[in-house]
Amino acid sequence: MIKGVLIKLVVFIAIVSIIIPLIIIAIWSIASSCPWPYLLPQNFSLRGIEEFFGGYSGAVNSMLTSVLIGIGTAFCAVSISIPAARAIKLYDFYGKNIVDFLLLLPVIVPVTSFAMGIHVFFIRAKLNDTIIGVIIAHTIVSLPYTVKIMSEVVSAIGNKYEVQAYVLGAGKMKALFKITIPLLMPGLVSAFSMAFIISMGQYFLTFLIGGGTVVTLPIRMFPYIQSGDRQIASMYGLMFILITLVVLLISDRFVRKYYSFSTTYFFS
Amino acid sequence: MNRKSLAPYLMLMPVIILLIIFIYGLLNGIIQSFGILKAAGLDKFSLEYYKETFKNTSLLNSIKVSLIISGVSSIIAVILGVALSYLFCRTGFVNNRAYNIFKLPILIPHIVVAALVINLFSQSGLFARLCFLLGIIDSQQEFIPMVFDENFIGVILGYVWKEMPFIVLVVATIMSNIDGNLGEAAQNLGSTPYKAFLYVTLPLCLPSIAMVFIIIFTFSFGAYELPLLLGPTFPKALPVKAYIEYTHPELAHRPYAMVLNTIMIVVTSAFTIAYHFLMKMINRKTEVRAYD
Repeated sequence: MIKGVLIKLVVFIAIVSIIIPLIIIAIWSIASSCPWPYLLPQNFSLRGIEEFFGGYSGAVNSMLTSVLIGIGTAFCAVSISIPAARAIKLYDFYGKNIVDFLLLLPVIVPVTSFAMGIHVFFIRAKLNDTIIGVIIAHTIVSLPYTVKIMSEVVSAIGNKYEVQAYVLGAGKMKALFKITIPLLMPGLVSAFSMAFIISMGQYFLTFLIGGGTVVTLPIRMFPYIQSGDRQIASMYGLMFILITLVVLLISDRFVRKYYSFSTTYFFS
Repeated sequence: MNRKSLAPYLMLMPVIILLIIFIYGLLNGIIQSFGILKAAGLDKFSLEYYKETFKNTSLLNSIKVSLIISGVSSIIAVILGVALSYLFCRTGFVNNRAYNIFKLPILIPHIVVAALVINLFSQSGLFARLCFLLGIIDSQQEFIPMVFDENFIGVILGYVWKEMPFIVLVVATIMSNIDGNLGEAAQNLGSTPYKAFLYVTLPLCLPSIAMVFIIIFTFSFGAYELPLLLGPTFPKALPVKAYIEYTHPELAHRPYAMVLNTIMIVVTSAFTIAYHFLMKMINRKTEVRAYD
């Protein structure tokens, strides 16, 4: 009996410790002053919202840049992951083991080292300071995740339905768009969401490759967190979380509308 | 299947090209660490930069500090994460809607995590206020500095908050599968739930736990944001130090930055190899089970 209560308590504490910091960031984003030692802010103001949506701060532009790069990255990563995952799961070829191994590297070797090593190459290739350059860099670091998710889906459905379509007289294109892609849809959405999340959260890579010209939300937010302006920093943080959630929810709904499957998992 | 077909290579082509760019970036850094940087007029292979790095105490401190930060935060996160996964499986919380809350920290970037830590744990943060109101401390200054402190408490707390839910999401899924099948079998054969967990479920989860440990350890070892935003001015974490060396006005100084990067690359590559073998091990196990 006591044990059951104890377990419930631990689960409760775990949930609270995840939620509390998020609630506090929401409260702080509209608090103008909170003198020591009050727990709750004494004055509220909309300075944070004005700062974010007032054109002068450029926050809205950064937000759009972030979303654009996020969607671009997710689109690139997913579209090249589909054939790659099919090659890995449906074909037997020399060097498969090496590809498997290489695909782990961007997850485990620090992005920081990669960014400093590739910086000069991007400058020479005239990709530095461009959105395209940032999208390429982000795509590289999200590839391992998208290929992994797509591989799991491909190995779950195999190629028998596609072969069936050929047997029934469908052309290559028809089989691809009518059979293969719809079947891959659940995995596609979670791979897309994963790449989007990874791209949205990048700071160092964007900072170096974007070179100060490509100003995403994390880049815009950084000085506020560094200088300790809590209200503005909290507002940026809150908006960041909301935007990410909105994009994820839209992609989830969009797919659910056209394809009926019970579970969309954005992370697996 | 036809092993000589070109098709899989064509299908993999874009991914391979991008991976080659990644590896080129790493190799480029490693080559520069040996003093070969044509743009700065350096073209002779030398180990001088390594020798000097290992003589320099502040650089050595950076290596030590980074190992401690990622070691401590990953161990705490894994212990908490595995314990919670067990509780969540036991209580059936994994099927609860509230379980989705644990997905939130994954989509919150480290730089926002830094803001959360400052809000909560700085000397004017919520915890300091709470301690004051409860009479544990008498003034703001008495609260143990957790942000910008030399023990990197804030950095570690930030990593634990972000990584623990990640471990739960990965481990709880695997655990509930195993516990549902084999753990139940063990109980049918007369084991207690606790023993079934300890001797059947946990050992079977170990490779996966090791894999998430590697991911979070290497990530926190090489990540720049949290130690920069929440760490002290001295000692600096390895990635922060590497970037400072990188932006040194003299180009001829760059090999020092690349020495630090190479250390990060070598350490994490070793972990990548370990990860690769763990993955093979798990795949083999599941294959065997599939043929049963």
